[in-house]
Amino acid sequence: MKHYIESLLHSDDYQFLGLFVSDKTKEQGVFILRYLFYDIKNKKLNITEIDTRKEFPHIDIPALDWYEREIHDMFGLVPKGHPNLRPLMLFPENYPKDFHPLRKDANLNIEYRGYEEYRYENFEPEGSFKILVGPIHAGIIEPGHFRFTLNGEPILKLEIRHFYKHKGIEKLAEGKPVEFGLKLSERISGDHSLAHSLAFVKAVETIYGIDIPPKAVYVRAILLELERLTCNINDFAFIFQDVGYSFGAQKVFAIKEMLMRLNEALTGNRFNRGIIKVGGILKEIDLNIVKDGIKLLKKEYLKYKKLFLNSSTILERTDTTGKVSYETAKKYAALGYVAKASGLYFDTRKIMENKLYGPLIKEFSLKSGDVTARLKVRFNDIEESFDIIEEFISNIPEGNIYKNYEKKDGYSFGFEEGQRGNIIHMLEIENGLISRWKIRDPSFHNWPIIQEAVLGDIIADFPLINKSLNLSYSGNDL
Amino acid sequence: MFNVIKTFLKEGIKTEDISSYNEDNIAIYKKLPKTLKGSLNIRHIDCGSCNACEYELTALSNIFYDIERFGIRFVASPKHADALTITGPITRNMYKPLLDAMKNVPNPKVIIAIGDCAMDGGIFKGAYGIVGGLKDINIEPYILIKGCPPTPKDIINGILKGFEG
Ligand code: SF4
Repeated sequence: MKHYIESLLHSDDYQFLGLFVSDKTKEQGVFILRYLFYDIKNKKLNITEIDTRKEFPHIDIPALDWYEREIHDMFGLVPKGHPNLRPLMLFPENYPKDFHPLRKDANLNIEYRGYEEYRYENFEPEGSFKILVGPIHAGIIEPGHFRFTLNGEPILKLEIRHFYKHKGIEKLAEGKPVEFGLKLSERISGDHSLAHSLAFVKAVETIYGIDIPPKAVYVRAILLELERLTCNINDFAFIFQDVGYSFGAQKVFAIKEMLMRLNEALTGNRFNRGIIKVGGILKEIDLNIVKDGIKLLKKEYLKYKKLFLNSSTILERTDTTGKVSYETAKKYAALGYVAKASGLYFDTRKIMENKLYGPLIKEFSLKSGDVTARLKVRFNDIEESFDIIEEFISNIPEGNIYKNYEKKDGYSFGFEEGQRGNIIHMLEIENGLISRWKIRDPSFHNWPIIQEAVLGDIIADFPLINKSLNLSYSGNDL
Repeated sequence: MFNVIKTFLKEGIKTEDISSYNEDNIAIYKKLPKTLKGSLNIRHIDCGSCNACEYELTALSNIFYDIERFGIRFVASPKHADALTITGPITRNMYKPLLDAMKNVPNPKVIIAIGDCAMDGGIFKGAYGIVGGLKDINIEPYILIKGCPPTPKDIINGILKGFEG
């Protein structure tokens, strides 16, 4: 089994999507591990299951490192032979060693006190020094810890320590109704409120066996593109800011604000929260509001794209900075723009839902893997979003916006392409309540890549590289 | 909305009049004590939010809201700060960093809780990974701005209103 999984991980025909575990000790006496791949050639999912009571095989590839450590934290299962089994989410300072919250029999009443010290990696080459950043950062950013080892200006090593924001969302949802899960799913990563809630709702709809009406499919897709657009425009503005070009940044931030206001005019919420429901959408929305406004915003965006690409001083900062090679992207199973900028293409919409999008999504990818490339991928995404919105608004089918349904028990996956890449929710419903929910934000695959992207670059470029990856802390930390 | 966007793009974006958010805002601002007007340095601490609150806090610096016009600035060091904005439920892993940062803010300091989570954990109440909201760790925020997330307008209104009292 181990060799089979290894071969899929190294194959170019398979995209690794995640490793999901459920505690089935009560029913079947075992824990079930599900390795999830997408078979790109045959266009279907590949799920490989392993049952275990205590141990499971360690696979030596960076893409699995965090997963295996996570499973060790959460379930107390041991990846046999893992060389670096430090706690990941449950900081040894704050949680006892034998605390494994996702086990069904876990006792969640644990005292808050100092337990053990955390061990950082031992890396002290001669003449090197360290710069420690975070968990609290200088700007309005989420918390996380970065440890740089430098020798002069260039970065020799970066070790990241995340999960400061670990709240225990997955456990919180256990035993709660689906409606609560939906509300919580909008709060996994706030900037991706809609994408996460769609992934969640899709998992529910597969379990219930609902085919939502075509009109709801279209409205959801339009709202999703609006969210993608807002996030991509926001990233664009931040990159302007981090290369020190405030004029461009402010102009592009203004476009973002207008998009947020457009959302508010549409659904009454700047993040489009509360509009999605199981079976469709909550209320009719007037899409005419979007139609003309979006054309003007596109024109405005194109002006600043041109400005960016024509400025040699800006490109001087972004070209060749923060390089991620194809091999690196592959071994970490990178997702979203990080992957696309390094020649690895996976887009949930294109690959899993091509019927809906068709030629509106081009298989756009680049090779250079630097900050410029990641921005250019975003430019492509932005323009695609504009096209999809226009096209879908003019072709929107008539009909109902939701479908009534009967509740059922079962297990399924929900997939969505968020702005950062593929999002997966694995959901199990038992007696009408959530019994297991695993959330996988693309940031969980992409964060460790930053440790390689900065190597050899100078520390002053770190903010720029970080922004070009722009990963979610809360979606990652859960 | 179309007309709004068109006007913005044609005439340039003007920073909005705060009285359009709440009629009394200008009167409130005029009455603020001199010590607050024109200079309030804020250190922001995210203790475990979902990041939507941060999204709205960053929006405060765009040209629509331009919070710096009131002299309100987000600063990099707690040692430079007069006030703290706090978002999110306080996770176990962020509890100590929060206390460390608070220790470094000179007294008297003003604590501003942003969003429903910050007060009592909000939707995350009961999760094993959080120690709770500010009230669970016995910190009394001076200003409390509700919402999930509060809009930038709510935040500006809330800060002005809070200092009025
Ligand atoms: S109050 Fe709402 S928006 Fe703010 S951090 Fe909490 S869940 Fe997110």
